[in-house]
Amino acid sequence: MKASNEFWETALGSWQGGFGKAASADSSKKTSTGRARESWETTAKTWRAMATVMGEPGAMDGVFKGLSGLPDIVVKLIQPAWNGLFHLQKEWAERAGRIGESSAAYSFDNLDQEAFRAWTQIYDKEFRQFLKIPQLGLTRSYQERLQEATDKFNIFQTTMAEFVSLLYLPIEKSFKVQQDKLSEMAEAGRLPTNSKDYYKMWVKILEGHYMNLFQSPEYAQTLARTLNAVSDFTTARHGMLQDALQFLPLPNQKDMDELYREIYLLKKRINALEKKNQNQGKTDDM
Amino acid sequence: MGQNKIPVDLLLAGLAEDAEEAQSRAQKASDVLLEPLDTSIAVTDYEVVYEEDRVKLKHYVPVIEPKSKTPLLVVYALINRETMLDLQPGRSVVETFLKEGIDLYMVDWGYPTRKDKFLTIDDHVNGYMDNIVDFVRQKCGVDKINLMGICMGGTFCVIYSALHSEKIKNLITTVTPTNFDTDQGLLHVWMKHTDVDRMVDSFGNMPGDMMNLGFLLLNPARLMIDKYVGFVENMDKKDFVENFIRMEKWIFDSPDVPGETFRQFIKDLYQKNLLIRNKMEVGGQRVDLNNITMPLLNFYGHFDHLVPPGACDLLTSKVGSRDTEDVCLQTGHIGIYVSSRCQKEFVPKIVKWLAQRDEDQEPVAAHD
Repeated sequence: MKASNEFWETALGSWQGGFGKAASADSSKKTSTGRARESWETTAKTWRAMATVMGEPGAMDGVFKGLSGLPDIVVKLIQPAWNGLFHLQKEWAERAGRIGESSAAYSFDNLDQEAFRAWTQIYDKEFRQFLKIPQLGLTRSYQERLQEATDKFNIFQTTMAEFVSLLYLPIEKSFKVQQDKLSEMAEAGRLPTNSKDYYKMWVKILEGHYMNLFQSPEYAQTLARTLNAVSDFTTARHGMLQDALQFLPLPNQKDMDELYREIYLLKKRINALEKKNQNQGKTDDM
Repeated sequence: MGQNKIPVDLLLAGLAEDAEEAQSRAQKASDVLLEPLDTSIAVTDYEVVYEEDRVKLKHYVPVIEPKSKTPLLVVYALINRETMLDLQPGRSVVETFLKEGIDLYMVDWGYPTRKDKFLTIDDHVNGYMDNIVDFVRQKCGVDKINLMGICMGGTFCVIYSALHSEKIKNLITTVTPTNFDTDQGLLHVWMKHTDVDRMVDSFGNMPGDMMNLGFLLLNPARLMIDKYVGFVENMDKKDFVENFIRMEKWIFDSPDVPGETFRQFIKDLYQKNLLIRNKMEVGGQRVDLNNITMPLLNFYGHFDHLVPPGACDLLTSKVGSRDTEDVCLQTGHIGIYVSSRCQKEFVPKIVKWLAQRDEDQEPVAAHD
């Protein structure tokens, strides 16, 4: 410590000497070199003071004692952060675990609409919340709209998948019913010989199944949910696109809608005034 | 050994015959599809005599001297296009009207854009329609005109006639929904669950393609499968292909519906059924069906899956007029206008009914 102190004192001294000569030679540079020298001197003084204190007997013992306590401090600092992370991870693991539980409760053996509903529920309970985490900072509202669009897209995808699978059900059932009918006809020896008759029979069965499906409350509800999901996703996507558009020198849909509304109202007023004028003219003529 | 119950030999022979037929059909079909086809629609001559925003008024060029002084104004729906009434020569309601000596005008609603999303039923009925009726009255020099509505256009005509009865001489409604509290049609069932506010708020105007998809889903087995199987079976016949494509052109030519009009139509009519109960308000005025005192002829299709009989047949008993008639044709929603059988019944019936009620009118100052 002492040797190091002496080395830096010598170095500082020779630099000060150099600076002094340069300063006297060109007084115009005095200001900038003087500020650098002052800064260096301040640092050197602090170092000298520190070195003197550290050089005193017993000082290093205190330092080493302090160092031995450092791990405890670090642990105390890190522990809460680690606990938080661990808790989060545990929660995620639990949520992931519940995915299996949920699907079991809805019985994936019966892989019909239940699967879609199960997934929708899992998404709603376990995943969706991550997209609802409040955003911070300057860009928070943009991030929120992006997350909103992601969320609505996920819901739209699931709902649409459910709707399409519902539309497929009559096709599946019609094939089964057709096979049963053909078996019966085969046993009775009444199988049609014309291939078109098989097709006609199938279309008729299919039409019947669709009519049954379409009149069911389940279909009406699924259709309504799908339309809502399409609408919500469209709105969220527009919100996101408007964010992007506002950085371009282009009017966005909101701007245009406001303009269209104003034109609409103005036209209405003009038309009403025109009609009023015409009626007034007719009254005056009489 | 007993006789085999499954006629395998007959089935195989049938299949072989079908395969041979299909091959020959495919060969002819390629000739048909590759040669020039006449698939144009709406070819009857007309002039555009009035324009306002996107809306146009067509006046069809008479082919004989009009037999009646009272012109007929046809108002089509905002869904799909009025070209359906003039699909092709020989299968055209327009052509038949002209041959019967009717002075025919037709509203072309055009293609609404985003700027039309604020237009309400009031703007269509008390705005465009009223201006058009006034224009036709003045052009023809008559106090009253005959009004004919189709589907949603018929509903507009009913509202118009209730609000402006002094301008309408005879009212003809065709496949016109006025009673929405019925479970006969799937649309009536589905619309009750639809969150129309959410849809209009997100889409602005109601996309025509989306509505078309909805109509296809009313009967996917027939409209999405069987129809095209029928096309494949007949694609070697030029006439069939041309007619089929004409129909496809019309069906999938679907303008969007102005958002606010769609919102009000679904909420006030499909969901609250206000019109038939005399509770609907348009432009701040209550629509009272008792004001419909002119003769009313009401057509509907027995097999109409879009606007079922239950949605149409209450009207005649709810209006103020004593001269009313219901005509139920044994066909569907479009068949009334395009089927060969209905062509023989539909227009002649209207022409005869109008002739019976046509009286000489004192002309008002005509501007031309």
